[in-house]
Amino acid sequence: MSSGIAAVTLLPRHLLSLEKEQSAGPVLGVAYGEKPNLVEKAIELIGGIQRFVKQGDRVCIKPNISFAANIGCGATTSPAIARQVVQLCLDAGASKVILVDHTIQDPNLCVERSQIEEAVTDRKKVSLLTLNKERQFAEIEIPRGRELQSTKIAKLIQSVDKLINLPTAKSHSATGVSLGIKNLMGLIWDRAYLHRKNLHRAVAELGTVINPDLTVVDATKALTSGGPGGPGKTVELNRVIVGTDVVAVDSYTVGITQWYNKSFTGRSVKYIVEASELGLGEIDVGKMRIQERRV
Amino acid sequence: MTIPKRQKHRIARWLIQILFLALFLFLFFQIRYGNQSPFQDIFFRLDPLILLVTSIAQRAILWVAGLSVLLVVTTLILGRFFCGFVCPLGTVIDVSDSMIRLRRRNEFSARNGKYIALLLLAVFALAGTSFLHFFDPLIILERALTLVFFPVVTHLAGLLLDVRIVGYTETVAAFLVLALVIGFGFVTPRFWCRNVCPLGGLLGALSHFSLFRFSLYARCEQCSVCQAICPTGAISSGEARVDSRECIVCLRCQYECPHDAIRYGMRRSVNPFDLKRRQFLTGMGASILSLSAARFFVRRKPNPNLIRPPGSIPEEAFLSACIHCGRCMKVCPTNGLQPCILEAGIEGLWTPRLIPRIGGCEKNCNMCGQVCPTSAIRRLPLEEKIFVKMGSAAIHRPRCIAWAQNMVCLICDEACPHNAIRSVNRTIRGISLPRPLVDERICTGCGLCESRCPTEGQAAIQVFAIGEERKAKGSYITEEKVRLRTCEEKTEDIPSGFILDGN
Repeated sequence: MSSGIAAVTLLPRHLLSLEKEQSAGPVLGVAYGEKPNLVEKAIELIGGIQRFVKQGDRVCIKPNISFAANIGCGATTSPAIARQVVQLCLDAGASKVILVDHTIQDPNLCVERSQIEEAVTDRKKVSLLTLNKERQFAEIEIPRGRELQSTKIAKLIQSVDKLINLPTAKSHSATGVSLGIKNLMGLIWDRAYLHRKNLHRAVAELGTVINPDLTVVDATKALTSGGPGGPGKTVELNRVIVGTDVVAVDSYTVGITQWYNKSFTGRSVKYIVEASELGLGEIDVGKMRIQERRV
Repeated sequence: MTIPKRQKHRIARWLIQILFLALFLFLFFQIRYGNQSPFQDIFFRLDPLILLVTSIAQRAILWVAGLSVLLVVTTLILGRFFCGFVCPLGTVIDVSDSMIRLRRRNEFSARNGKYIALLLLAVFALAGTSFLHFFDPLIILERALTLVFFPVVTHLAGLLLDVRIVGYTETVAAFLVLALVIGFGFVTPRFWCRNVCPLGGLLGALSHFSLFRFSLYARCEQCSVCQAICPTGAISSGEARVDSRECIVCLRCQYECPHDAIRYGMRRSVNPFDLKRRQFLTGMGASILSLSAARFFVRRKPNPNLIRPPGSIPEEAFLSACIHCGRCMKVCPTNGLQPCILEAGIEGLWTPRLIPRIGGCEKNCNMCGQVCPTSAIRRLPLEEKIFVKMGSAAIHRPRCIAWAQNMVCLICDEACPHNAIRSVNRTIRGISLPRPLVDERICTGCGLCESRCPTEGQAAIQVFAIGEERKAKGSYITEEKVRLRTCEEKTEDIPSGFILDGN
């Protein structure tokens, strides 16, 4: 198997995690407020961007721009948040930043409607790529897979140094919510196949092979019903949640608002429970160390 | 080295022709999602044949093609210059003719064929149907560009670049029509323009009265050089006559005449109109035959599998107005708009239909109406287009993997941009899972669900033209529709991705 995958899989929690984090549970950074620097502040709370992006790194950012929905409804990652993440990476010395998604609807329409191009702050270093061709993907084994033994994942993420997962907080008609782990589905080729399997478990199994170095949840506007494509109920939360433990980030985010007018926790979302059972991270909010700051 | 005057002239004419062909191609590539610039369809607006036939067929003047009066007036002054300089199909024919290089001059001529074609189109139009798609040169070329040329271009470009590859369900007939038009060149040069093209016939009839024309002067020695080189066989040097209806004003005769005996200028003589009684009767006979044929073809049954683009006017009027140019199919960003083969009868060949399995109708796109040159698809603003009901989706439960195989699929629910598909918990043989249901009141028939249904082969959710709305005028927005869509809290079941208390 490609060594790139191994690196992506192994790097974050084993090498980057702080010593005390492992003993006392994962650290999450949560920033909220109206100011346009939520991402920077949230990442500062868990050690600053330098902890994740080194000089000369090639960084892949995975926003969710899978639907040609109007911005502001919460179905796609907001361009302002994406722009902040890109800028932070550049400031930390990234040599290349690539925004990438395998869109569900027509890629041109998705790019246009999401206004994600606003995040391309530097034409030389930042690029935007939609993955809609099979040749952009390579087959990998999923050693721990029960539902998925193998799948085709984006070749790009095997060749970059860092992967930043940038989902939007939204509801999902099948999985309940679509957050960090679910967002990784935009990096594989055959999305429909997962729906023909036990979707919740299959999504979690993806998390065993695609392991982002950092997850940033855009919860500025959350689509709390009618997801994943909208229209539905959009709630302004003005919040950004960051962390290296994607299960913890997802589990925490489930609790910050109501979904379908009901309150849930991470333990009530099947794909998060499956991910936790696969040992991908901490599901219990009580064991996390939440650093919260108003901006 | 100096270039002889006649060479200069030939080069100049080639340049003008190539320029117009290039403009036609340029405008063709301007047909793309998001491009709202006006005058993309300028060639079609200048075509008096489209104005004439469509206006008769739909019993209302096609104002958007009113500009073609310009061409009528200039033809009345200058003659049939359009065919010799502007017509992009004429240029394509000239290029192919120059490659064919007939060894032997063939004298075949059926000039009145183009008037008969014109008469035929008029009769069909009177019967309420437009058969322009087989005859109008601009339409033939535009459609061949869309259905034949463009897919090839995208396939080739797709080898190197990241472009969307398109394909169409009907390319063979579109190609054959163009191939036939070009292949006529094996009989005589410009065969199509001389004998078949009804636009040429219309402009030719106008040229009969044109102010400027060629005349032979007394110094003519009847050497027949002009007669031999004339691309449309308009000159009879024996009778010292140039037929202004045939002449495409290419000016070759004037520059090549060794005696300077033929000149283009203000009218000196009018040719006798020589549509003979026999030919007129032939024309009438053909018309009556074609009228009965038209009546035969016009009969049609509604086809529930035929989904027209959003904002298409009622079917009868649609078939009268649609010129089958293929522009809507070129612009469709999902490639879902495809040419009909026989789903709408012979007269409906190449008219657009939505095939959702290939691509659904994007909610935030109204481009097909924007590029339609005759408003067969209405130019609706986006806010109104999203309310147009093209049909309704229906779920085929035995094949749906959520209904029949207890899968948590719900891709159709995910795909639906109007939330017309709800996931509702239903228990089947003791297993309670969310299964998709369609709310027909909200469904617009866009087919995004069908395009993404993971059931292999035929989708388990399909759109039919049931409940389709076709309005010639008036708004598609109704209070009821707005109310249904803005219901603050729709009764949406909690997705099965959540573990509910007590489960």
